[in-house]
Amino acid sequence: MPVKEDLLWYKDAIIYQVHVRTFYDSNGDGIGDFQGLEQKLDYLQELGISAIWLMPFFPSPLRDDGYDIADYYSVHSSYGTLDDFRKFLKAAHDRGIRVIIEMVLNHTSDQHPWFQESRSSQDNPRRDWYVWSDTDTRYKGARIIFLDTEMSNWAWDPISKSYYWHRFFSHQPDLNYDNPAVRQEMWNVMKFWLEMGVDAFRLDAVPYLVEREGTSCENLPETHEILKDLRRQLDKEFPGRMLLAEANQWPADLRPYFGDGDEFHMAFHFPLMPRMFMGVKLEDRKPITEILQQTPEIPPSCQWCLFLRNHDELTLEMVKDLERDYMYDAYAQNKTMRINLGIRRRLAPLLDSDRRRIELMNGILMSLPGTPIIYYGDEIGMGDNINLGDRNGVRTPMQWSGGWNGGFSGADPESLYAPLILNPVYGYQAVNVLSQRRSEHSLLSWMRRIIAVRRSTGVFGKGSIEFLYPANHRVLAYVRQLGKETVLAVNNLSSAAQAVELDLRTYKGNILIEMFGKNIFPRVGELPYLLTMGPYQFYWFRLRRI
Amino acid sequence: MTQEVSVEERAVPLRTEKRLAEDSFLTDDFLRQLINVGEVDILVGLPTHNNAKTVGPIVQSIQAGILRDFPRERAAIINADGGSRDGTPELVTGISIDDVRRTANLYTLRTLHSISTQYANTPASGVALRTILSAAELLRAKACVLISPESTNIKPEWLSKLLRPIYNEGFDLVTPTYRRHKFEGLLITNLLYPMIRALYGTRIREPYATELGFSGRLGGQFLGQNNWDDGTGQTGLELRLTLAAISGGCRICQSFLGEKDHVERRAADLIPALRQTVGTLFSALEADFPVWSAVAGSQPVPSNGPESEVGLEPLRINRKRLREMFSTGVAELASVFQSILSPSTLAELQRIAGLDEDDLRYPAELWVRTVYEFAVSYQKSVINRDHIIQALAPLFRGRAYTFLVENRDTSTNDVEKNIESLCLEFERLKPYLLEMWNGRK
Repeated sequence: MPVKEDLLWYKDAIIYQVHVRTFYDSNGDGIGDFQGLEQKLDYLQELGISAIWLMPFFPSPLRDDGYDIADYYSVHSSYGTLDDFRKFLKAAHDRGIRVIIEMVLNHTSDQHPWFQESRSSQDNPRRDWYVWSDTDTRYKGARIIFLDTEMSNWAWDPISKSYYWHRFFSHQPDLNYDNPAVRQEMWNVMKFWLEMGVDAFRLDAVPYLVEREGTSCENLPETHEILKDLRRQLDKEFPGRMLLAEANQWPADLRPYFGDGDEFHMAFHFPLMPRMFMGVKLEDRKPITEILQQTPEIPPSCQWCLFLRNHDELTLEMVKDLERDYMYDAYAQNKTMRINLGIRRRLAPLLDSDRRRIELMNGILMSLPGTPIIYYGDEIGMGDNINLGDRNGVRTPMQWSGGWNGGFSGADPESLYAPLILNPVYGYQAVNVLSQRRSEHSLLSWMRRIIAVRRSTGVFGKGSIEFLYPANHRVLAYVRQLGKETVLAVNNLSSAAQAVELDLRTYKGNILIEMFGKNIFPRVGELPYLLTMGPYQFYWFRLRRI
Repeated sequence: MTQEVSVEERAVPLRTEKRLAEDSFLTDDFLRQLINVGEVDILVGLPTHNNAKTVGPIVQSIQAGILRDFPRERAAIINADGGSRDGTPELVTGISIDDVRRTANLYTLRTLHSISTQYANTPASGVALRTILSAAELLRAKACVLISPESTNIKPEWLSKLLRPIYNEGFDLVTPTYRRHKFEGLLITNLLYPMIRALYGTRIREPYATELGFSGRLGGQFLGQNNWDDGTGQTGLELRLTLAAISGGCRICQSFLGEKDHVERRAADLIPALRQTVGTLFSALEADFPVWSAVAGSQPVPSNGPESEVGLEPLRINRKRLREMFSTGVAELASVFQSILSPSTLAELQRIAGLDEDDLRYPAELWVRTVYEFAVSYQKSVINRDHIIQALAPLFRGRAYTFLVENRDTSTNDVEKNIESLCLEFERLKPYLLEMWNGRK
């Protein structure tokens, strides 16, 4: 089942996010690799996902989990070779799975040859490939992103005896996008992978490409111009490929990244994610409806990317102080769970491994407008290890079975890139693919079902949304519509059973068909439609006029 | 009617109001609205009747108080309306929380519900309170506060002051204290406060408050214990709630709210006020006899802020009319007083009623004996109980006249000393009341 020609494929996609290192080790060195990932493609096909988003796999000193790239044209030796990648890519395509790779445009590793050349002398031709300064007082308006580790956005380079600009870690110098040679080279990099067959890029940290004095150095018009230029070249030479923006911004600030449909195809909706957790904890739809009301319309060819968890912390940058305090109290009372402005935990531990809440959150994720992303391991309810530094606690080896190293690797356990989760609740002996495959009622089996239901209709990916506001604020309800197809989603955010009356008079005469069991519910009439819902229950109804 | 006060959210249109069961106290529509609210931490009760002129800013202050001090808590405003014809309920539910958020730069995590229900076509404070208490019980409210629709000077912080001790510190009742002019609230300073203090042993400065906070537990107990079908139960219930808290051994504290707006009262308002307050107190004494008869002395309750604050600014009061109404009343009601008062008390009253303006004083001891004898007469129903309460009116005016004269040029401290002195007189003469109550006098 090779990938189909569909220019808007990303709108109906279900994306699975994985780091090659974490998934499966084929050669017994304790580190996952592309051959291993290829071997597990059948599992992903069975799960039902339609795209894989790979985290950085390029040569790197790995001081920021690969986001510090030292060579854009190759594969990190731990993960295999370029040839291994090509084989994996083909195998994925053969299964109808597209591949999205990371592209870190904003910065490189300080070990990248470009930077080594740039710092070597003021006269080096690559000197202007990075942002240098004699003082550390320029661009004072730019905030520091990694507050826990960085004191300034400038770092002193003892070799070239000047300061270089970095928005992230000091070992990640920012590229100078005012230099046309840099822009051309980065397009060359993208072209290299596109020609190989890569379907899309997740462009990392895009708001920060350009610096201007007196600004926040974020979301600048010059940055948008650079991105638009990349898009023009992409559409011209590689139609049907996709750009996904990583920009942790408020919706209104994110909107320009879609342009008039001529910049990014997709962007992450960062502010929605914490509010979904907030809504469930508060048992109140307000945080969710409020942020979606503030979310601007985007061009028809564009799409939001929605996620519950990812490889980073559950970011609380895009919430108010009051909300952040609440989230910390509700989800991270133990301060070791916190990092930067966020919570470094996986989905299942955040939800106390409560199956009902995990299902509800996935139900909301897959029914709101956008393309859902599943973080590897969350489909089986994997746990985390908050004792590992940085965000490594949510990047532990995939748990395939209850056997040796959880089926991840044949290496000595001590040589794994990271220790497996071992505790009795989330450890690999309790939570693994093999055991969940054997049960029809496991979380994995349920995830397969919901993905199948979601993929059975285009309404979730491309349909419009209209919120219903039943007087019961614990119920989040909306109607998704695409052409003649109408789906009603009703979510009980409360831990208690609820009665809710929905004003469905617009759909009078329709019969409701529950999409999982396909059972028929009473016809919609003139009176408010009464539903009773169990704790954390959700319904997807297809509305049919029969 | 209802409105979920949130960002452009509107509830579904309501069905025609209709009771599901004839014996149901709450309307079907009100119940439906409560179901939608679910459970709350904070409940604000707002009884109204034709308060359109004042209720808008009050609701805004309530909303601001919730947003500012209880942003995480589940909260609801319950408006129990007695058949307003001026659009009061629509005002209560129509005020957008967005306005408050914008002007005060406040934010709440949750939906804030604002519900209005019309319990009758005519106002009845008892039914209003019962409605609010019922809502609190059904919503499992942890902390409740009653707000008067006449408190135009309400500040958002009132909510915190009345609710925090309950929500965070485990108190069951929070009564307010205010900054009042020394001649305001004379019924409280000359009768209710000292008498309740002497009898129940608890020094609650504002025992009959139109703003007070109470725990869901106390509200539930009161709802279950109070005889709601009893006619006397329909007025002065805020005082009954306070007395129930004292009798029930609940934890009580006071919170200083600041300035209390002066509400102009007509002379004719005194009798209803006496019914609501003194009538309620006298009525409660029967049931609470085992409690108050065992109490000796009195104890202060914890206070957040000053126990009281007295304003001394000049105030024009028609003392002459008070004196005249006292003297006339004593003369005209002599036969009624014969049934109520002891001969010695009546004789002394008649003596002072005949004194000149300069000499007339209704001394503390005589006033306390008068009140105690009225209480006993009320208990024994020597005449119609309502007539007893009405007969107290001219005597109270005489006492008020004396208080005004004695404190005309006094300082804050002296006013307080005089009130304290009266309280001690009530405590000293308590055995006299007990002897009469037990029939030994």
